[in-house]
Amino acid sequence: MLSITRRVGERIVIGDDIVLHVQEVSGSTVRIGIEAPKETPVYREEIWAAVKEENAAAARSAAELPRGPLPPAPAQ
Amino acid sequence: MSLTVESTRFGTLEIEADAVLSFPRGLIGLGGSRYTLLSTDAESPFSWLHSVEDPDLALPVTRPWQFFPDYEVVLGDAEAETLGLGGDATPDVWVTVRATERVEDFTVNLRAPIVVAAGADGPEAYQVINEAPDADVRAPLFAPGS
Repeated sequence: MLSITRRVGERIVIGDDIVLHVQEVSGSTVRIGIEAPKETPVYREEIWAAVKEENAAAARSAAELPRGPLPPAPAQ
Repeated sequence: MSLTVESTRFGTLEIEADAVLSFPRGLIGLGGSRYTLLSTDAESPFSWLHSVEDPDLALPVTRPWQFFPDYEVVLGDAEAETLGLGGDATPDVWVTVRATERVEDFTVNLRAPIVVAAGADGPEAYQVINEAPDADVRAPLFAPGS
């Protein structure tokens, strides 16, 4: 993995059209601004991983889904 | 114009060209750029988001509001702009279903709904991250113990 040291206000460019801005550093928290083209989605890693797992689980579903009557919905 | 998919689950599918949803970003972790919505049982609340490129790739989906009437999808401005949302038009929203052996255990992913918007060349769909704080990736569809 490439490691680069940057100061607040400096940027990193990935390819020709992705730019990361180091906006703020406070203790162990870093705020990063990201410019990326519309086709390149940007995710927080843990959310990306959780959604990837749910998509994979949904894609393993068998063709025959149970038919009604369905149980009651959860309380809102 | 229609195209034919030899689905491993549902056999031969004839899909009209205007029923193909374009996914410019694919599905998270699964990719794919073209899917269709398939209703195999008119009485079921579940449909299938079926790839037209991979005959083995299909996910059960449902419309969230019939189970969660208060469900909200919150998107950042940039994301809403990407989807071409912002007017009064209500986009079509689906959530993926984790279909387990018992229907009582089914869950849906409220965190990453699939939003279908009108694109320049037909419908475009995006799996987006819902910023609403209580959107669960594995929300039970049915009351526990039912």
